[in-house]
Amino acid sequence: MSSGNKIPKAAVITIPVILIFAVAAYIVIQRAEKSRSDLPVYGTVPEFQFTSQHGEPFGTGDLMGKINIMDFFFTSCRGPCPVMHTNMSDLYELFKGHEQIQFVSISVDPENDTPEVLAGYARDFKVNDGRWVFLHAPIDSVVWLSENGFSLAADNLPNMHSTKFVLVDENAQIRGYYSGTDEASINIMITHIREMVKSLK
Amino acid sequence: MEKKVKNFRRFALFSTLMTYFVIFMGGLVRVSGAGLGCPDWPKCFGRWLPPTSVEQLPAHIDPSLFNFTLAWIEYFNRLVGALLGVFITVTTVWALVSFRKFPKILYSAIAAFFLVALTGWQGGLLIRLELEPLAVTIHMTLAFILVSVMIYLTLQAYFLENPQLESNSVYRPKLHLWAGAIWLVSMLQIFFGTRIRSAIEIIREQYPLLHELEWLAKIGFMKHFHITLGFILVGMVAYVFNEAVNKSKNPSGLILQGSWAMMILVVLQVITGLALIFIGIPPILQVLHLWISSIFFGTILIVYSSLKA
Repeated sequence: MSSGNKIPKAAVITIPVILIFAVAAYIVIQRAEKSRSDLPVYGTVPEFQFTSQHGEPFGTGDLMGKINIMDFFFTSCRGPCPVMHTNMSDLYELFKGHEQIQFVSISVDPENDTPEVLAGYARDFKVNDGRWVFLHAPIDSVVWLSENGFSLAADNLPNMHSTKFVLVDENAQIRGYYSGTDEASINIMITHIREMVKSLK
Repeated sequence: MEKKVKNFRRFALFSTLMTYFVIFMGGLVRVSGAGLGCPDWPKCFGRWLPPTSVEQLPAHIDPSLFNFTLAWIEYFNRLVGALLGVFITVTTVWALVSFRKFPKILYSAIAAFFLVALTGWQGGLLIRLELEPLAVTIHMTLAFILVSVMIYLTLQAYFLENPQLESNSVYRPKLHLWAGAIWLVSMLQIFFGTRIRSAIEIIREQYPLLHELEWLAKIGFMKHFHITLGFILVGMVAYVFNEAVNKSKNPSGLILQGSWAMMILVVLQVITGLALIFIGIPPILQVLHLWISSIFFGTILIVYSSLKA
């Protein structure tokens, strides 16, 4: 029972050292979380009024209050669209049961992609609820929305449409662009969606 | 000679503390989600210094991958890791030059050199594998082995410096076997800890929008096992602590320090562990829980080696 009752110096030091590191870690983590949730506002989606695969009107108002993942495509596309929509279909499955997350795919080939064709395409991707909408509109309106609304090039449609996924928040503001064919980019979008859903609640 | 050993021991201790700092940074990278802050390796977005604006990104890289804060967190981990590599290299060269006749020092220094190189290289692989959970666990395991080797090395230099350290001390016979048992149970604990972490990662991918407590609820058996074993570990540590500190004759300074630190850390580990479960795995507690486990692990080695010496 010699010096046993006195706590030695080096052992006592562990507690303040761990506390100092805890504070440092806390600051770094806060900054990391802030950097993730502080998404820039790239602009606001302008007023538009298109037609959904059910033949119903769908416009800017329908984006409000929801987190929207939007893209451009056409049903007979053989290039990147199948990859994009396989990825989007995975996301659609992933976010099952979360009505606040909406997928909006706009056709750049309105001549062929009538609402009926879009409805068939939706069925092919096993879309059975209102979370994924496919939109039809005259080509001029689509080009205008792509170029002026989303700042995405829309030359030589339908083949040269953009392969980006655009993240649009509950106030129809554009918050992010992601490569619809790249898994790493989509994973980052998922973390952004998670942050946005948190602030939605 | 004594002065020479002392300087070497100090430098080895410093490198060991530095290793702990790198482990801390590694944990921080993981919980802040900065692991892919630089999508390439060893460069960051094709540059030796991370970019500060989107304009500096090379053309083929998707700007949505870029997050200034996360890039710097990850980059800092690589920087301190590389610096550690330099320190350990110096330690190894020093051992090769001055301690060639002391195999314990020489071989542990050489092992540390290869381990730090391996851990760094595997860290690059980890990024190419996009943080595959098993690869992350291997990275952490390598770091734990490295820090154990560094502690062993420092201790051997310390024993060489103080050959009379334990000559007056009398401990309960076979107490070192108890310390060894604590070491084994801790290994198991760390293993289960990494499995829980991986399980959360997988559940997180499947249910990205659930609350953290809901993720935890989906982990069954492993969680309970980890908690139960944690309490058993506290009991074992308390026993060794009592024997070493209160019931032995003239315990060495190293034993006293080590036992106290071990006791304090195991209690902190239980507190952070339970808080993780009740609050819902806040990142700050995740880093601390992992970091404290690595330090606790180190103190077991100190107690074990001194009891055995």
